[in-house]
Amino acid sequence: MSYELVAGLETHIELSTNTKIFCGCTTAFGAEPNTNCCPVCIGLPGTMPKLNRRVVDYAILAGLATNCEISPISKMDRKNYVYPDLPKAYQVSQYDKPLCERGYITLSSGKRINITRIHIEEDAGKLVHERGDTYVDYNRGGVPLIEIVTEPDIRSIEEAIEYVEKLQLIMKYIGVSDVKMQEGSLRCDVNISVRKKGDEKFGTRAEIKNMNSFTFMAKALQYEFERQVDLLESGERVIQETRRYNTDTGETEAMRGKEDAHDYRYFREPDLVTIQTSPEDIARLREMLPELPEQKLARYVADYGIPEADAQLIVKYRKVAEYFDAVVSKIQNPKTASNFIVGQIFKALSTEAAKEELALSVSSEMLAELIRLLESGKINMGMAKSTLDKMLETGKHATELLSQEDMAGLDENALRNHCMEAIAANPAAVKDYQSGKEKALKAILGAVMRATKGRADAAAAEKLLIELITK
Amino acid sequence: MAVTKEEILDIALLSKLWVDESELDKLTEDMAGIIAFADTINAVGESAEDFDNINNLSNVFREDTVVPSYDRSLILKNVNGGENGYFPVKKRM
Repeated sequence: MSYELVAGLETHIELSTNTKIFCGCTTAFGAEPNTNCCPVCIGLPGTMPKLNRRVVDYAILAGLATNCEISPISKMDRKNYVYPDLPKAYQVSQYDKPLCERGYITLSSGKRINITRIHIEEDAGKLVHERGDTYVDYNRGGVPLIEIVTEPDIRSIEEAIEYVEKLQLIMKYIGVSDVKMQEGSLRCDVNISVRKKGDEKFGTRAEIKNMNSFTFMAKALQYEFERQVDLLESGERVIQETRRYNTDTGETEAMRGKEDAHDYRYFREPDLVTIQTSPEDIARLREMLPELPEQKLARYVADYGIPEADAQLIVKYRKVAEYFDAVVSKIQNPKTASNFIVGQIFKALSTEAAKEELALSVSSEMLAELIRLLESGKINMGMAKSTLDKMLETGKHATELLSQEDMAGLDENALRNHCMEAIAANPAAVKDYQSGKEKALKAILGAVMRATKGRADAAAAEKLLIELITK
Repeated sequence: MAVTKEEILDIALLSKLWVDESELDKLTEDMAGIIAFADTINAVGESAEDFDNINNLSNVFREDTVVPSYDRSLILKNVNGGENGYFPVKKRM
Protein backbone atom coordinates (compact mmCIF):
# COMPACT_ATOMS: atom_id res chain seq x y z
CA MET A 1 0.00 0.00 0.00
CA SER A 2 1.46 3.37 -0.85
CA TYR A 3 1.09 6.36 1.40
CA GLU A 4 1.27 10.05 0.81
CA LEU A 5 2.58 12.77 3.05
CA VAL A 6 0.33 15.66 4.08
CA ALA A 7 2.00 18.64 5.69
CA GLY A 8 1.36 22.20 6.70
CA LEU A 9 3.99 24.63 7.86
CA GLU A 10 4.20 27.23 10.58
CA THR A 11 7.11 29.54 9.94
CA HIS A 12 8.33 32.02 12.53
CA ILE A 13 10.28 34.94 11.16
CA GLU A 14 12.10 37.47 13.33
CA LEU A 15 11.46 40.97 12.02
CA SER A 16 14.46 43.23 11.55
CA THR A 17 13.07 46.24 13.40
CA ASN A 18 15.36 48.39 15.54
CA THR A 19 13.37 47.84 18.69
CA LYS A 20 11.28 45.15 20.35
CA ILE A 21 7.55 44.78 19.70
CA PHE A 22 6.28 46.45 22.89
CA CYS A 23 9.21 48.49 24.27
CA GLY A 24 12.15 50.56 23.03
CA CYS A 25 14.87 48.00 23.88
CA THR A 26 17.16 47.21 20.97
CA THR A 27 16.80 43.94 19.05
CA ALA A 28 20.58 43.82 18.38
CA PHE A 29 21.87 40.25 18.37
CA GLY A 30 24.83 39.03 20.43
CA ALA A 31 24.75 41.42 23.41
CA GLU A 32 25.72 40.36 26.95
CA PRO A 33 22.83 38.45 28.58
CA ASN A 34 19.96 40.52 29.96
CA THR A 35 21.44 43.85 28.87
CA ASN A 36 18.74 44.61 26.24
CA CYS A 37 15.94 44.49 28.79
CA CYS A 38 13.51 46.74 30.61
CA PRO A 39 10.55 46.22 32.96
CA VAL A 40 8.18 45.75 29.98
CA CYS A 41 10.11 42.92 28.29
CA ILE A 42 10.91 41.09 31.53
CA GLY A 43 7.21 41.19 32.33
CA LEU A 44 7.16 43.13 35.59
CA PRO A 45 3.65 43.74 36.94
CA GLY A 46 2.19 47.15 36.23
CA THR A 47 4.15 47.77 33.04
CA MET A 48 2.27 48.68 29.88
CA PRO A 49 3.16 47.47 26.38
CA LYS A 50 3.01 49.86 23.43
CA LEU A 51 2.96 48.42 19.93
CA ASN A 52 5.82 49.20 17.54
CA ARG A 53 4.29 50.69 14.39
CA ARG A 54 6.95 49.16 12.15
CA VAL A 55 6.00 45.64 13.30
CA VAL A 56 2.50 46.17 11.92
CA ASP A 57 3.88 47.67 8.69
CA TYR A 58 6.33 44.80 8.17
CA ALA A 59 3.68 42.16 8.82
CA ILE A 60 1.33 43.81 6.31
CA LEU A 61 4.18 44.00 3.77
CA ALA A 62 4.76 40.27 4.27
CA GLY A 63 1.04 39.73 3.77
CA LEU A 64 0.89 41.78 0.58
CA ALA A 65 3.95 40.00 -0.82
CA THR A 66 2.25 36.63 -0.24
CA ASN A 67 -1.10 37.63 -1.75
CA CYS A 68 -2.91 37.90 1.59
CA GLU A 69 -6.01 39.89 2.44
CA ILE A 70 -5.23 42.51 5.09
CA SER A 71 -7.71 42.62 7.96
CA PRO A 72 -9.27 46.04 8.46
CA ILE A 73 -9.60 45.29 12.18
CA SER A 74 -7.13 43.24 14.14
CA LYS A 75 -6.22 42.79 17.80
CA MET A 76 -3.73 41.18 20.16
CA ASP A 77 -4.45 38.24 22.48
CA ARG A 78 -2.74 36.54 25.39
CA LYS A 79 -1.63 32.95 24.88
CA ASN A 80 -1.12 31.44 28.31
CA TYR A 81 1.55 28.91 29.09
CA VAL A 82 4.01 28.52 31.89
CA TYR A 83 7.66 28.23 30.96
CA PRO A 84 10.72 30.05 32.31
CA ASP A 85 11.55 31.71 28.97
CA LEU A 86 8.23 33.56 29.13
CA PRO A 87 8.34 35.93 32.12
CA LYS A 88 4.67 36.98 32.03
CA ALA A 89 3.47 33.35 31.73
CA TYR A 90 1.65 34.45 28.59
CA GLN A 91 2.82 35.38 25.12
CA VAL A 92 1.18 38.35 23.47
CA SER A 93 0.12 37.00 20.09
CA GLN A 94 -2.96 37.10 17.85
CA TYR A 95 -5.72 34.53 18.02
CA ASP A 96 -8.91 35.07 16.04
CA LYS A 97 -8.10 38.36 14.29
CA PRO A 98 -4.67 38.09 12.69
CA LEU A 99 -3.35 40.96 10.56
CA CYS A 100 -3.31 38.96 7.31
CA GLU A 101 -5.38 36.04 6.01
CA ARG A 102 -5.94 33.88 2.93
CA GLY A 103 -2.76 34.28 0.87
CA TYR A 104 -0.65 31.91 -1.17
CA ILE A 105 2.78 31.20 -2.60
CA THR A 106 3.06 29.59 -6.03
CA LEU A 107 5.61 26.79 -6.46
CA SER A 108 7.58 26.32 -9.69
CA SER A 109 5.15 23.54 -10.67
CA GLY A 110 2.38 26.13 -10.65
CA LYS A 111 0.82 24.60 -7.53
CA ARG A 112 -0.34 27.04 -4.88
CA ILE A 113 0.46 26.57 -1.22
CA ASN A 114 -2.31 28.43 0.54
CA ILE A 115 -1.46 30.62 3.50
CA THR A 116 -4.09 30.56 6.22
CA ARG A 117 -2.83 33.53 8.19
CA ILE A 118 0.05 35.76 9.19
CA HIS A 119 0.05 37.13 12.71
CA ILE A 120 2.42 39.14 14.89
CA GLU A 121 3.70 38.10 18.30
CA GLU A 122 6.58 38.47 20.73
CA ASP A 123 9.51 36.07 20.90
CA ALA A 124 10.40 34.37 24.18
CA GLY A 125 13.74 34.57 26.00
CA LYS A 126 16.51 32.04 25.59
CA LEU A 127 17.25 29.22 28.00
CA VAL A 128 20.91 28.41 28.58
CA HIS A 129 21.81 25.04 30.06
CA GLU A 130 25.11 24.76 31.87
CA ARG A 131 26.42 21.97 34.08
CA GLY A 132 22.95 20.76 34.95
CA ASP A 133 21.67 24.24 35.74
CA THR A 134 19.35 26.37 33.64
CA TYR A 135 19.56 30.12 33.13
CA VAL A 136 17.49 32.64 31.21
CA ASP A 137 18.58 35.48 28.96
CA TYR A 138 15.65 37.78 28.15
CA ASN A 139 17.43 39.78 25.43
CA ARG A 140 15.37 37.94 22.79
CA GLY A 141 12.19 38.28 24.85
CA GLY A 142 9.89 40.73 23.09
CA VAL A 143 11.68 40.64 19.75
CA PRO A 144 8.94 40.87 17.09
CA LEU A 145 7.98 37.77 15.12
CA ILE A 146 5.54 37.02 12.37
CA GLU A 147 4.11 33.52 12.17
CA ILE A 148 3.06 32.38 8.72
CA VAL A 149 0.70 29.39 8.76
CA THR A 150 -0.14 27.33 5.67
CA GLU A 151 -3.03 25.04 4.90
CA PRO A 152 -2.15 21.31 4.82
CA ASP A 153 -1.40 21.64 1.10
CA ILE A 154 2.10 20.21 1.03
CA ARG A 155 2.44 16.68 -0.37
CA SER A 156 6.18 16.06 -0.49
CA ILE A 157 9.46 16.98 1.15
CA GLU A 158 10.47 18.80 -2.04
CA GLU A 159 7.33 20.95 -1.89
CA ALA A 160 7.98 21.77 1.77
CA ILE A 161 11.51 22.89 1.03
CA GLU A 162 10.60 24.87 -2.07
CA TYR A 163 7.87 26.65 -0.12
CA VAL A 164 10.28 27.67 2.64
CA GLU A 165 12.93 28.74 0.11
CA LYS A 166 10.39 30.87 -1.77
CA LEU A 167 9.10 32.39 1.46
CA GLN A 168 12.64 33.12 2.62
CA LEU A 169 13.50 34.82 -0.67
CA ILE A 170 10.34 36.96 -0.65
CA MET A 171 11.07 38.13 2.91
CA LYS A 172 14.65 38.96 1.90
CA TYR A 173 13.41 41.01 -1.06
CA ILE A 174 10.93 43.01 0.98
CA GLY A 175 13.59 43.50 3.64
CA VAL A 176 11.51 42.72 6.73
CA SER A 177 13.92 40.09 8.07
CA ASP A 178 17.34 38.63 7.39
CA VAL A 179 15.65 35.15 7.50
CA LYS A 180 18.76 33.21 8.49
CA MET A 181 17.73 29.70 9.41
CA GLN A 182 20.99 28.86 11.18
CA GLU A 183 20.74 31.99 13.35
CA GLY A 184 17.13 31.33 14.21
CA SER A 185 15.60 34.32 12.45
CA LEU A 186 13.58 31.81 10.39
CA ARG A 187 12.25 28.77 12.23
CA CYS A 188 9.91 26.10 10.92
CA ASP A 189 7.46 23.81 12.63
CA VAL A 190 5.82 21.19 10.44
CA ASN A 191 2.50 19.49 11.00
CA ILE A 192 2.76 16.16 9.28
CA SER A 193 0.43 13.23 8.77
CA VAL A 194 0.22 10.36 6.32
CA ARG A 195 -2.70 8.78 4.52
CA LYS A 196 -3.21 6.07 1.98
CA LYS A 197 -3.02 7.40 -1.55
CA GLY A 198 -6.50 8.20 -2.76
CA ASP A 199 -7.94 8.73 0.73
CA GLU A 200 -9.66 12.04 1.29
CA LYS A 201 -9.55 12.06 5.06
CA PHE A 202 -6.42 13.39 6.73
CA GLY A 203 -4.55 11.19 9.20
CA THR A 204 -3.66 12.16 12.75
CA ARG A 205 -0.85 14.66 12.68
CA ALA A 206 2.28 15.19 14.68
CA GLU A 207 4.04 18.52 14.96
CA ILE A 208 7.81 18.60 14.56
CA LYS A 209 9.79 21.49 15.99
CA ASN A 210 13.47 22.40 16.02
CA MET A 211 14.38 22.28 12.35
CA ASN A 212 17.05 24.87 11.73
CA SER A 213 18.32 23.91 8.29
CA PHE A 214 16.92 22.63 5.01
CA THR A 215 18.98 19.48 5.37
CA PHE A 216 17.55 18.71 8.81
CA MET A 217 14.08 19.58 7.62
CA ALA A 218 14.32 17.07 4.77
CA LYS A 219 15.72 14.39 7.09
CA ALA A 220 13.16 15.02 9.82
CA LEU A 221 10.24 14.85 7.37
CA GLN A 222 11.58 11.66 5.78
CA TYR A 223 12.05 10.04 9.20
CA GLU A 224 8.64 11.12 10.45
CA PHE A 225 6.90 9.99 7.26
CA GLU A 226 8.44 6.53 7.55
CA ARG A 227 7.72 6.36 11.29
CA GLN A 228 4.03 7.12 10.76
CA VAL A 229 3.72 4.70 7.84
CA ASP A 230 5.36 1.95 9.95
CA LEU A 231 2.91 2.62 12.78
CA LEU A 232 -0.09 2.35 10.47
CA GLU A 233 1.27 -0.72 8.69
CA SER A 234 1.72 -2.50 12.00
CA GLY A 235 -1.84 -1.67 12.97
CA GLU A 236 -0.94 1.02 15.51
CA ARG A 237 -2.13 4.60 15.65
CA VAL A 238 -0.32 7.90 15.29
CA ILE A 239 -0.62 9.97 18.45
CA GLN A 240 -1.25 13.69 18.15
CA GLU A 241 1.79 15.19 19.84
CA THR A 242 4.68 17.59 19.54
CA ARG A 243 7.96 16.01 18.49
CA ARG A 244 11.47 17.32 18.24
CA TYR A 245 14.07 16.41 15.62
CA ASN A 246 17.24 15.17 17.28
CA THR A 247 20.11 16.17 15.02
CA ASP A 248 22.45 13.65 16.69
CA THR A 249 20.32 10.53 16.21
CA GLY A 250 18.54 11.71 13.05
CA GLU A 251 15.23 10.72 14.64
CA THR A 252 12.19 12.59 15.84
CA GLU A 253 11.27 12.10 19.48
CA ALA A 254 8.22 12.98 21.55
CA MET A 255 8.51 16.31 23.41
CA ARG A 256 5.17 16.77 25.04
CA GLY A 257 3.01 13.83 26.01
CA LYS A 258 -0.74 13.67 25.92
CA GLU A 259 -1.12 14.42 29.64
CA ASP A 260 0.41 17.83 28.92
CA ALA A 261 -2.04 18.63 26.11
CA HIS A 262 -1.98 22.37 26.25
CA ASP A 263 -4.86 24.63 26.66
CA TYR A 264 -3.64 28.12 25.92
CA ARG A 265 -6.73 29.86 27.29
CA TYR A 266 -6.48 32.68 24.77
CA PHE A 267 -8.14 35.95 25.68
CA ARG A 268 -7.88 39.50 24.47
CA GLU A 269 -4.82 41.47 25.60
CA PRO A 270 -6.56 44.26 27.53
CA ASP A 271 -3.48 46.50 27.60
CA LEU A 272 -3.37 46.95 23.81
CA VAL A 273 -5.94 48.65 21.62
CA THR A 274 -7.43 47.56 18.32
CA ILE A 275 -5.32 47.78 15.17
CA GLN A 276 -7.24 49.34 12.30
CA THR A 277 -5.82 49.25 8.80
CA SER A 278 -7.38 51.56 6.23
CA PRO A 279 -7.31 51.12 2.45
CA GLU A 280 -4.97 54.17 2.43
CA ASP A 281 -2.54 52.39 4.79
CA ILE A 282 -2.58 49.36 2.52
CA ALA A 283 -2.01 51.49 -0.57
CA ARG A 284 0.92 53.26 1.10
CA LEU A 285 2.52 49.91 2.01
CA ARG A 286 1.83 48.37 -1.39
CA GLU A 287 3.72 51.33 -2.84
CA MET A 288 6.73 50.30 -0.72
CA LEU A 289 6.83 46.75 -2.11
CA PRO A 290 9.83 46.20 -4.36
CA GLU A 291 9.70 44.06 -7.48
CA LEU A 292 9.37 40.51 -6.12
CA PRO A 293 11.54 37.54 -7.18
CA GLU A 294 8.85 35.99 -9.35
CA GLN A 295 8.18 39.26 -11.18
CA LYS A 296 11.90 39.79 -11.75
CA LEU A 297 12.27 36.27 -13.10
CA ALA A 298 9.40 36.76 -15.53
CA ARG A 299 10.83 40.09 -16.68
CA TYR A 300 14.33 38.71 -17.24
CA VAL A 301 13.01 35.83 -19.31
CA ALA A 302 10.32 37.67 -21.26
CA ASP A 303 11.85 41.12 -21.76
CA TYR A 304 15.56 40.29 -21.83
CA GLY A 305 15.45 36.81 -23.38
CA ILE A 306 17.69 35.41 -20.66
CA PRO A 307 17.58 31.61 -20.28
CA GLU A 308 15.35 30.72 -17.35
CA ALA A 309 18.09 28.77 -15.56
CA ASP A 310 20.39 31.81 -15.63
CA ALA A 311 17.60 34.14 -14.58
CA GLN A 312 16.81 31.81 -11.63
CA LEU A 313 20.42 32.01 -10.49
CA ILE A 314 20.41 35.81 -10.58
CA VAL A 315 17.06 36.20 -8.85
CA LYS A 316 18.06 33.78 -6.10
CA TYR A 317 20.28 36.45 -4.53
CA ARG A 318 18.63 39.80 -3.97
CA LYS A 319 21.88 41.77 -4.15
CA VAL A 320 22.97 40.00 -7.33
CA ALA A 321 19.62 40.82 -8.93
CA GLU A 322 19.97 44.48 -7.94
CA TYR A 323 23.52 44.48 -9.33
CA PHE A 324 22.31 42.96 -12.58
CA ASP A 325 19.53 45.56 -12.87
CA ALA A 326 22.05 48.35 -12.28
CA VAL A 327 24.40 47.01 -15.00
CA VAL A 328 21.56 46.48 -17.48
CA SER A 329 20.40 50.08 -17.10
CA LYS A 330 23.78 51.24 -18.46
CA ILE A 331 24.32 48.86 -21.39
CA GLN A 332 22.53 47.65 -24.52
CA ASN A 333 22.36 43.87 -24.27
CA PRO A 334 21.23 42.42 -20.90
CA LYS A 335 22.30 38.94 -21.99
CA THR A 336 25.95 40.01 -22.04
CA ALA A 337 25.61 41.09 -18.41
CA SER A 338 23.85 37.88 -17.33
CA ASN A 339 26.52 35.76 -19.05
CA PHE A 340 29.30 37.58 -17.23
CA ILE A 341 27.45 37.35 -13.91
CA VAL A 342 26.50 33.68 -13.91
CA GLY A 343 29.88 32.84 -15.46
CA GLN A 344 32.98 34.64 -14.25
CA ILE A 345 31.44 36.64 -11.44
CA PHE A 346 29.73 33.63 -9.82
CA LYS A 347 33.02 31.77 -10.11
CA ALA A 348 34.67 34.57 -8.14
CA LEU A 349 31.81 34.55 -5.60
CA SER A 350 32.41 30.90 -4.82
CA THR A 351 30.38 30.53 -1.61
CA GLU A 352 26.66 31.04 -0.97
CA ALA A 353 27.52 33.73 1.57
CA ALA A 354 29.68 35.61 -0.96
CA LYS A 355 26.81 35.61 -3.48
CA GLU A 356 24.35 36.60 -0.78
CA GLU A 357 26.50 39.53 0.31
CA LEU A 358 27.83 40.26 -3.19
CA ALA A 359 31.38 40.52 -1.83
CA LEU A 360 32.77 41.90 -5.06
CA SER A 361 35.50 44.41 -6.00
CA VAL A 362 33.86 45.15 -9.36
CA SER A 363 31.02 47.64 -9.05
CA SER A 364 28.01 47.60 -11.37
CA GLU A 365 29.39 50.75 -13.01
CA MET A 366 32.75 49.03 -13.65
CA LEU A 367 31.12 45.99 -15.25
CA ALA A 368 28.90 48.24 -17.34
CA GLU A 369 31.98 50.16 -18.52
CA LEU A 370 33.64 46.92 -19.64
CA ILE A 371 30.49 45.80 -21.47
CA ARG A 372 30.24 49.18 -23.20
CA LEU A 373 33.81 48.77 -24.48
CA LEU A 374 32.73 45.40 -25.86
CA GLU A 375 29.49 46.72 -27.33
CA SER A 376 31.24 49.60 -29.06
CA GLY A 377 33.67 47.16 -30.69
CA LYS A 378 36.70 48.64 -28.95
CA ILE A 379 37.55 45.25 -27.48
CA ASN A 380 36.44 41.74 -28.39
CA MET A 381 34.88 39.04 -26.24
CA GLY A 382 38.16 37.28 -25.54
CA MET A 383 39.71 40.48 -24.25
CA ALA A 384 36.61 41.37 -22.26
CA LYS A 385 36.76 38.01 -20.49
CA SER A 386 40.43 38.20 -19.63
CA THR A 387 40.03 41.82 -18.52
CA LEU A 388 37.10 40.90 -16.26
CA ASP A 389 39.25 38.24 -14.59
CA LYS A 390 41.91 40.86 -13.92
CA MET A 391 39.28 43.30 -12.63
CA LEU A 392 37.92 40.68 -10.22
CA GLU A 393 41.45 40.04 -9.02
CA THR A 394 42.65 43.63 -8.68
CA GLY A 395 39.51 45.74 -8.29
CA LYS A 396 40.80 48.01 -11.05
CA HIS A 397 38.73 49.59 -13.83
CA ALA A 398 38.85 48.07 -17.32
CA THR A 399 40.26 51.33 -18.63
CA GLU A 400 43.18 51.05 -16.19
CA LEU A 401 43.95 47.49 -17.22
CA LEU A 402 43.67 47.92 -20.99
CA SER A 403 46.18 49.97 -22.96
CA GLN A 404 45.16 52.54 -25.54
CA GLU A 405 46.30 50.11 -28.18
CA ASP A 406 44.14 47.31 -26.66
CA MET A 407 41.09 49.53 -26.86
CA ALA A 408 41.80 50.80 -30.35
CA GLY A 409 39.75 47.98 -31.74
CA LEU A 410 40.21 47.06 -35.39
CA ASP A 411 38.22 48.67 -38.10
CA GLU A 412 37.18 46.75 -41.17
CA ASN A 413 40.15 47.94 -43.22
CA ALA A 414 42.79 47.13 -40.61
CA LEU A 415 41.33 43.65 -40.17
CA ARG A 416 41.32 43.13 -43.93
CA ASN A 417 44.99 44.15 -44.14
CA HIS A 418 45.96 41.76 -41.35
CA CYS A 419 44.07 38.93 -43.04
CA MET A 420 45.71 39.57 -46.40
CA GLU A 421 49.13 39.60 -44.75
CA ALA A 422 48.43 36.33 -43.00
CA ILE A 423 47.28 34.71 -46.26
CA ALA A 424 50.43 35.89 -48.02
CA ALA A 425 52.64 34.57 -45.22
CA ASN A 426 51.02 31.08 -45.10
CA PRO A 427 50.78 29.83 -48.69
CA ALA A 428 50.92 26.15 -47.61
CA ALA A 429 47.98 26.47 -45.27
CA VAL A 430 46.00 28.35 -47.90
CA LYS A 431 46.63 25.56 -50.38
CA ASP A 432 45.59 22.92 -47.83
CA TYR A 433 42.38 24.78 -47.10
CA GLN A 434 41.61 25.15 -50.78
CA SER A 435 42.10 21.42 -51.24
CA GLY A 436 39.45 20.74 -48.58
CA LYS A 437 41.36 20.65 -45.27
CA GLU A 438 39.15 22.98 -43.31
CA LYS A 439 41.38 22.76 -40.26
CA ALA A 440 44.15 24.54 -42.12
CA LEU A 441 42.24 27.76 -41.69
CA LYS A 442 43.06 27.73 -37.96
CA ALA A 443 46.74 28.30 -38.69
CA ILE A 444 45.97 31.40 -40.74
CA LEU A 445 43.51 32.68 -38.17
CA GLY A 446 46.14 32.14 -35.46
CA ALA A 447 48.52 34.34 -37.43
CA VAL A 448 45.90 37.10 -37.60
CA MET A 449 45.25 36.89 -33.85
CA ARG A 450 48.99 37.00 -33.09
CA ALA A 451 49.54 39.96 -35.37
CA THR A 452 46.68 41.87 -33.78
CA LYS A 453 47.63 40.83 -30.22
CA GLY A 454 44.17 39.34 -29.77
CA ARG A 455 42.30 42.51 -30.64
CA ALA A 456 40.71 41.02 -33.72
CA ASP A 457 37.23 39.59 -33.41
CA ALA A 458 37.99 35.94 -34.17
CA ALA A 459 34.60 35.23 -35.72
CA ALA A 460 34.79 38.26 -38.00
CA ALA A 461 38.38 37.43 -38.97
CA GLU A 462 37.46 33.84 -39.83
CA LYS A 463 34.61 34.96 -42.01
CA LEU A 464 36.82 37.45 -43.81
CA LEU A 465 39.61 34.91 -44.33
CA ILE A 466 37.23 32.44 -45.97
CA GLU A 467 35.90 35.20 -48.16
CA LEU A 468 39.42 36.26 -49.24
CA ILE A 469 40.70 32.71 -49.82
CA THR A 470 37.72 31.39 -51.75
CA LYS A 471 37.32 34.50 -53.89
CA MET B 1 -22.18 25.15 35.41
CA ALA B 2 -20.73 22.49 37.66
CA VAL B 3 -16.99 22.13 38.11
CA THR B 4 -15.40 18.82 38.89
CA LYS B 5 -12.40 18.19 41.10
CA GLU B 6 -10.66 16.68 38.07
CA GLU B 7 -11.05 19.96 36.19
CA ILE B 8 -9.54 21.86 39.11
CA LEU B 9 -6.56 19.49 39.06
CA ASP B 10 -6.23 19.97 35.27
CA ILE B 11 -6.17 23.75 35.60
CA ALA B 12 -3.66 23.49 38.45
CA LEU B 13 -1.42 21.36 36.26
CA LEU B 14 -1.54 23.85 33.39
CA SER B 15 -0.72 26.65 35.80
CA LYS B 16 2.10 24.62 37.35
CA LEU B 17 0.42 24.89 40.76
CA TRP B 18 0.58 22.09 43.31
CA VAL B 19 -2.77 21.59 44.96
CA ASP B 20 -3.11 19.71 48.21
CA GLU B 21 -5.94 17.18 48.54
CA SER B 22 -7.22 19.10 51.58
CA GLU B 23 -7.64 22.30 49.51
CA LEU B 24 -9.59 20.65 46.74
CA ASP B 25 -13.12 20.98 48.13
CA LYS B 26 -12.67 24.66 48.92
CA LEU B 27 -11.10 25.41 45.52
CA THR B 28 -13.87 23.59 43.68
CA GLU B 29 -16.47 25.58 45.55
CA ASP B 30 -14.66 28.89 44.87
CA MET B 31 -14.31 28.10 41.18
CA ALA B 32 -18.01 27.22 40.95
CA GLY B 33 -18.77 30.67 42.39
CA ILE B 34 -16.56 32.38 39.81
CA ILE B 35 -18.19 30.48 36.96
CA ALA B 36 -21.65 31.29 38.29
CA PHE B 37 -20.69 34.97 38.15
CA ALA B 38 -19.49 34.54 34.55
CA ASP B 39 -22.82 32.88 33.74
CA THR B 40 -24.60 35.97 35.06
CA ILE B 41 -22.62 38.11 32.62
CA ASN B 42 -23.27 35.69 29.77
CA ALA B 43 -26.99 35.92 30.52
CA VAL B 44 -26.92 39.58 29.47
CA GLY B 45 -26.74 38.20 25.96
CA GLU B 46 -24.37 40.71 24.32
CA SER B 47 -22.00 39.35 21.73
CA ALA B 48 -18.29 39.53 22.45
CA GLU B 49 -18.03 41.82 19.43
CA ASP B 50 -19.69 44.63 21.33
CA PHE B 51 -16.99 44.55 23.98
CA ASP B 52 -14.18 44.49 21.47
CA ASN B 53 -13.44 48.16 21.38
CA ILE B 54 -15.07 49.41 24.51
CA ASN B 55 -12.70 52.37 24.97
CA ASN B 56 -13.10 53.32 21.32
CA LEU B 57 -9.35 53.55 20.87
CA SER B 58 -7.32 52.15 18.02
CA ASN B 59 -3.86 52.44 16.53
CA VAL B 60 -1.85 53.58 19.50
CA PHE B 61 1.70 53.01 18.31
CA ARG B 62 5.28 53.80 19.23
CA GLU B 63 7.89 54.70 16.62
CA ASP B 64 10.68 52.18 16.11
CA THR B 65 13.29 54.23 17.98
CA VAL B 66 15.72 52.65 20.41
CA VAL B 67 15.47 53.76 24.03
CA PRO B 68 18.37 52.79 26.34
CA SER B 69 17.66 49.56 28.22
CA TYR B 70 17.90 49.25 31.99
CA ASP B 71 21.12 48.57 33.80
CA ARG B 72 21.46 44.83 34.25
CA SER B 73 21.88 45.15 38.00
CA LEU B 74 18.35 46.61 38.11
CA ILE B 75 16.95 43.94 35.81
CA LEU B 76 18.39 41.19 38.03
CA LYS B 77 17.52 42.90 41.32
CA ASN B 78 14.56 40.60 42.06
CA VAL B 79 16.75 37.51 41.73
CA ASN B 80 19.46 38.76 44.10
CA GLY B 81 21.64 39.97 41.25
CA GLY B 82 21.30 36.77 39.21
CA GLU B 83 24.15 34.44 38.28
CA ASN B 84 26.75 35.46 35.69
CA GLY B 85 24.31 37.97 34.28
CA TYR B 86 21.49 35.40 33.93
CA PHE B 87 18.24 34.68 35.69
CA PRO B 88 18.70 31.30 37.36
CA VAL B 89 15.84 28.81 36.94
CA LYS B 90 14.88 26.93 40.07
CA LYS B 91 15.24 23.19 39.77
CA ARG B 92 11.95 21.29 39.74
CA MET B 93 11.51 17.95 41.39
